[in-house]
Amino acid sequence: MNSIKSAYIHIPFCNSICSYCDFCKIYYNSDIVSNYLNALEKEIKLKYNYEKLNTIYIGGGTPSSLNIKELEKLFKIIDILNKEDNCEITFECNIDSIDLEKLEFLYKRGVNRLSIGIESFNSEIIKYLNRKHTKEEAIKKIKLAKKVGFKNINVDLMYAIPIEDKYILKDDLNYIISMDVEHISTYSLIIEPHTVLYNKKVNYIDEEIDFEMYKLICDTLKENNYIHYEISNFAKDGYEAKHNLVYWNNMNYYGFGVGASGYINNVRYDNTRSINKYINGNYVLNEDILDFNTIVENEFILGLRKLNGINLFEFEKKYNFKATDIPIVQTLIKEKKINIKNGYLYICSNFIYQENSILLEFLDINYEIVKNSN
Amino acid sequence: MKQENIRNFSIIAHIDHGKSTIADRILELTGAVSKREIKEQMLDSMDIERERGITIKLNAVQLKYHYKNEDYILNLIDTPGHVDFSYEVSRSLAACEGAILVVDAAQGVEAQTLANLYLAMENDLKIIPVINKIDLPNADVDRVKKELIDNLGFEDDEIILCSGKAGIGIQELVEAVIDRIPNPKVESNDLQALIFDSYFDAYRGIVIILRVFNGSIKVGDKIKMHATGAVYDVVSVGVHNPKECIKDKLVSGEVGFITASIKSISDVKVGDTIVKENSLMAPLPGYQPMKPMVFCGLYPIESSKFPALREALDKLKLNDASLEFEPETSEALGFGFRCGFLGLLHMEIIQERIEREFDIDLIATSPSVIYKIELTDGSSIYIDSPSKMPERQRISKIYEPYIKTNIFVPSDYIGAIMKLCQDKRGNYKSLEYIDLKRVNIHYEIPLSEIVYDFFDRLKSTTKGYASFDYDLIGYKESKLVKMDILLNGKVVDALSLIVHKDFAYNRGKSIVEALRKLIPRQQFEIPIQAVIGSKAIARTDIKAVRKNVLAKCYGGDVSRKRKLLEAQKEGKKRMKMVGNVEVPQEAFLAVLSMEE
Repeated sequence: MNSIKSAYIHIPFCNSICSYCDFCKIYYNSDIVSNYLNALEKEIKLKYNYEKLNTIYIGGGTPSSLNIKELEKLFKIIDILNKEDNCEITFECNIDSIDLEKLEFLYKRGVNRLSIGIESFNSEIIKYLNRKHTKEEAIKKIKLAKKVGFKNINVDLMYAIPIEDKYILKDDLNYIISMDVEHISTYSLIIEPHTVLYNKKVNYIDEEIDFEMYKLICDTLKENNYIHYEISNFAKDGYEAKHNLVYWNNMNYYGFGVGASGYINNVRYDNTRSINKYINGNYVLNEDILDFNTIVENEFILGLRKLNGINLFEFEKKYNFKATDIPIVQTLIKEKKINIKNGYLYICSNFIYQENSILLEFLDINYEIVKNSN
Repeated sequence: MKQENIRNFSIIAHIDHGKSTIADRILELTGAVSKREIKEQMLDSMDIERERGITIKLNAVQLKYHYKNEDYILNLIDTPGHVDFSYEVSRSLAACEGAILVVDAAQGVEAQTLANLYLAMENDLKIIPVINKIDLPNADVDRVKKELIDNLGFEDDEIILCSGKAGIGIQELVEAVIDRIPNPKVESNDLQALIFDSYFDAYRGIVIILRVFNGSIKVGDKIKMHATGAVYDVVSVGVHNPKECIKDKLVSGEVGFITASIKSISDVKVGDTIVKENSLMAPLPGYQPMKPMVFCGLYPIESSKFPALREALDKLKLNDASLEFEPETSEALGFGFRCGFLGLLHMEIIQERIEREFDIDLIATSPSVIYKIELTDGSSIYIDSPSKMPERQRISKIYEPYIKTNIFVPSDYIGAIMKLCQDKRGNYKSLEYIDLKRVNIHYEIPLSEIVYDFFDRLKSTTKGYASFDYDLIGYKESKLVKMDILLNGKVVDALSLIVHKDFAYNRGKSIVEALRKLIPRQQFEIPIQAVIGSKAIARTDIKAVRKNVLAKCYGGDVSRKRKLLEAQKEGKKRMKMVGNVEVPQEAFLAVLSMEE
């Protein structure tokens, strides 16, 4: 049995709905919040086996849309969870719903990492994404968070938005860099079904421009001492997101709350996306029992997202065979698409933005046979 | 049953004029099926037929009707409406003494109304004219009546007014069939039966649908196929009513089916005559099988499916004598078949049936007609594929088949039609007014132009009001050249085509553009060129893939990401490797996509 060291907690409430968002969310409503938090407490008590946790991630929705009283209740629930001393506790927020009082509260209650969705500083783009802040407000709130004491702040930046060009992106990068945050996540816009943009039949930006933007981001952030450690993530040395690395390392975690997903032993489960069902105690929507092949495939799908790749020693320990015994690994090394260095298997940086074409090669392989033939 | 009380008839009509609905109502009226059992268009048994709302394969049903104190047997033989299938129409008409001609009360006489009427007249059939859909708000019965009288020569009092949907006039129609259509004539007691359809049944072998003209046929009879000489013992005899119904025998004048444990597909030829083993009876006149006019290569995506494809084509040919095929090899696509079809729709239907009924994923190359080439040594050859085109130095003249059009259209669209026909290298011939508002336009157009997007453009330029039919009128000399398409510097033989010199530049440009859109980006840049001889006339590039990544992947996204990757993998499997380029199925039909 794998030990569980991480938990994700979903807070589905938002004050406004962003045009690209397909997460599980509903408009903020104080009655529902109260019922929801009760249900959340029940779910945690039902499933949690009192492991000591290394990382906790409170995401949404917009967790910061809760008021102080509701936050107090939430953190009482989080108190149920046992934490290691240096447990990373991340709290997601957006600019317009945080203020001094909330920030001080979060800091006091042990949150040691803030993840702030800014997405852009450009007023046109902010409007396009249906977000509610201004550039000035964003700068001010981040300064405030630092003043309160937060020493590990992530900022989300979105790019490849249909109305965006390279100059806008460059401006956004400059603002982010000037704010000197520890971690930056940058996402190329995905137009998901059931979103406003999808319904408006918005088209993706040209692939060439998207790629140029990506390169611009990688180069600029590298020049400013950020380490590119995952396809879309950059961090100052030592500030890689511990919680997200749990996902990319294919490790176990709890998922609590409506729409949350978890991975426990060999089971990946998704909670219901219906707030009513959730409040009524029907937490789980479906459970997938993974077979050996799927688990190994996931190891590649997730692990190769990290720029330094998969630890081969850990891989062998986990799966009882060497990744280098897989014939396609040898082929891809010859094709100079992947490489091995210092005991890690990784995708060569010039192929990282075409990762899928490499991952395809790792599907439909019978890893059981590879394991048994050696 | 007395000969005098048998009637064999068909229903013919332009597409969508309601032929199948009338057939349904007749089935209902005669009690062959109860109202409860009726699905829309009972006789259209193939999925494709119901989905597309067209009849492809003909069907024969036996109906009983009591009239004036006599019992009658009516054999209804359904026919396809589309121009591509006029061969099948003539097959079913050969088994009849009469036909119901259905004309839509709003649309009036259309191109295929005429085409089918002429076929029926060639077969000496008694025609019953019917105006259908008279209950629709836009019905104009008087105008359509006038068309039938003025243009087709019917008398006012022989026209029956009907509504298949509302069931109006059906009884009158059935009784007219009995009153007006002659009963079958018998000339001899020796068996003569015309095979007009057949299909393969896994348990019983080939099932033959036939019309007995003379004599009778029963279980145990030793029969001979006239054309092939093959001899069989009849195992079962029956009719469809429309369910299968086993009988002792079929007598002259009747329509039904037989089985005789026939496994060898080549022994049964549709249009052949069945006689008794030692009979000296001559074959029935039958009818000329139509010659295919449109050809294309069909290749299995998985080369291991080649034998399966051969079997599928063999089985389809069983009740589709017009389908022709012979093995062909393509450098790009491997082993496949060069197939001949009656027209584009026929081609599409066959492809779809192979994919659905036989589960073989296909690549179809762009359609071609048969060109006649006069060589410098004075001899001439016919080619049905650009790859068979001789070297340029050996060619003295090239001829291509021409058709003459019947385009029925409201006179408002004359200008649009003329523009379209001229774009298609047509020569104007004449124009007839059918009434004040409708005309029949005659152009001579190369068949190869019809094979491209003529139908689609005709429909779109006339908002669907035009109807179209054509006759082949022979070969004319043309300035034609072979155009090759190069992918990543290599000629892809399956994409070559024959084009008119003056249109080559535009065609080349639109094809490379279409290919650029259809072929996904790959790891490297791929130039696409259109060349004539060694001269490049159009070029574009498919850029290398820049982005193929899921930007975001966190806790809940893994399963979704897997699905995405699996779909990509599935898509890859459906592509054909041409050299080192992955090409999707549709790209091989890119030549069909023309700029507007």
